[in-house]
Amino acid sequence: MKIGPLNIPLREDFSLKSILNFEKTPVNMLVAVSVVAMLAMLVIGVSLYLMHGHHAYNVTREHPWGLLIAVYIFFVVSSTGFCIVGSLGDVFGFKDFTMISKRAIFGSIVTILAGFTVIAFEIGHPVTMMIYNVLSPGLTSAIWWMGTLYGLYLTFMIIEFYFLLNNDMKKAKIFGLTGLLVGLAAHSNLGSVFGFLNARTISQGVFYPTYFILTAFITGIFLSFIIMGFRYKLNFNEKTKKLLEGLAKIQGLLISILIFFVTWKLLTDMYGGMPNRAEVAEHILGSGSFWTEVILAMVLPLLIILKDFGKSPVLMFWASLSGMVGIFFMRYNLVHDTQLKPLQMMKVREYQLPPEWIHYFPSATEIMISLGGLGLCVLLYYVGTKAFNLDEEEGH
Amino acid sequence: MARYGMALDYKNCINCKACEVACKEENGVLMGADKHRIWVGVNEISGEYPLLDIVSHSFQPSQCQHCDEAPCQMVCPTNATYYDEFHVVRVDSDKCILCSYCMNACPYDARYVDDRTMTVDKCTFCSDTRLARGETTTACQNTCPTKVRTFGDLDDPESEISELLRTREHFSLKANLGTKPKLFYLT
Ligand code: SF4
Ligand code: SF4
Repeated sequence: MKIGPLNIPLREDFSLKSILNFEKTPVNMLVAVSVVAMLAMLVIGVSLYLMHGHHAYNVTREHPWGLLIAVYIFFVVSSTGFCIVGSLGDVFGFKDFTMISKRAIFGSIVTILAGFTVIAFEIGHPVTMMIYNVLSPGLTSAIWWMGTLYGLYLTFMIIEFYFLLNNDMKKAKIFGLTGLLVGLAAHSNLGSVFGFLNARTISQGVFYPTYFILTAFITGIFLSFIIMGFRYKLNFNEKTKKLLEGLAKIQGLLISILIFFVTWKLLTDMYGGMPNRAEVAEHILGSGSFWTEVILAMVLPLLIILKDFGKSPVLMFWASLSGMVGIFFMRYNLVHDTQLKPLQMMKVREYQLPPEWIHYFPSATEIMISLGGLGLCVLLYYVGTKAFNLDEEEGH
Repeated sequence: MARYGMALDYKNCINCKACEVACKEENGVLMGADKHRIWVGVNEISGEYPLLDIVSHSFQPSQCQHCDEAPCQMVCPTNATYYDEFHVVRVDSDKCILCSYCMNACPYDARYVDDRTMTVDKCTFCSDTRLARGETTTACQNTCPTKVRTFGDLDDPESEISELLRTREHFSLKANLGTKPKLFYLT
């Protein structure tokens, strides 16, 4: 398809009919029905939000960031992860990984679009944001940097994808590298949104800006297994097996580092019983959602990798699904745990505020918009697989 | 230009909450427990019988500290939170995008969402009500029966507040965070 000077190579059979035309296996039908249901939830959720504003959410004065922030983080981490995995082949020239580059870069675009969709309904005034982000930029604000850099990153990813589609590897590499660097900067800035909260000692510090990069890479690998699993219906050819084995080995290393990081983070949090920090860390250790994160995103996948050093791609596919659920909990925990401890040292009993821990559970609207974001992401990705050839071109 | 601050002789507070009411009335703050710019905190008697620490029991009126190094201002992506010419920390509701970052960054839980504008609101030292009318006191100060509060110019050596801070021992809240609050608690 030609748009002005741009040449976008769409698949020849791409049409509305081709989108609706998929193999009607039970799994596919289940995915299709879920996606439609999730999109319906998005519509309902957004309508409720438009009618009631933030009252439709369970966010409060003491817990102003809720599920939607966690889901936004979940999506943008996924995007950065896809971008890192995509860059392995096409920017850094690891030949075994080139076959996933185009698909991963496309994944990074759809996940960040889903993230932006979700955050648009969390930020009270997204249009004002676009205006005043430019007119009166808050240069000391991590949110300003994160948002601005992510906007740039999306642009670079789209340009890179365009050149990948057109097999212009040289230009794809230039934009890929720039996009990757901007993406990593954006992503560590997202970590610093939490790291800069001096009043919240549990999150304050260098930990999150660096940990975000590590967990992005891990997320990217989980997602690679998932999209390749769907692409080959778990029937991997030799070349794909090689790719996935390589990714699994890297994943083993990364998860081990992550476990190491998290262990030391919690130990330093508790050491010496620093007020506001130690008790929060102990509270986290006693919470089910923390252990869900640990088991689903760290222990299970690591055990499966260690079983035969990443030689079971099918098992890894399942472990990656579990991993992504774990990663969701990881994001949710980050947001919630940051706000667990009430700040008001003076207001011990004022208005009968909860004296110990701030409680929060997402409202139906928040849950619907979040699932809607997931539905949108899957739909966009699916349409992409129909519109573009996301496989590696022969002869490259 | 003046640099406004407030000194609180907090041990005189009797927890009548007249200041909370006056603030809501003067500044049109919406009803509802979590919609408040100022509050009176209660420090309860600590310890266990018979070792009760009776002097630990006190009332502590508080509000936005109008930090000189305000975390809420630093984190604001659109500079909606700014220092006005009197060093009062204010929110420009036209620029506020309700990202809620400031609510999380403020160590004093001094911010809340105003449902009318759907933007963040907080104590303004009555800047756009009483001070704009040319008065020199805030509503909370004016109404306080035991005269806990003294509002004034910290840069004017002759002001009552400067005199108080020169002659009375005082502390600020969470001073370790380096926020340089302009609310001072007289001991
Ligand atoms: S007390 Fe909170 S709202 Fe007030 S200036 Fe300081 S950080 Fe900002
Ligand atoms: S909620 Fe408004 S005032 Fe607060 S940081 Fe965001 S834009 Fe600034």
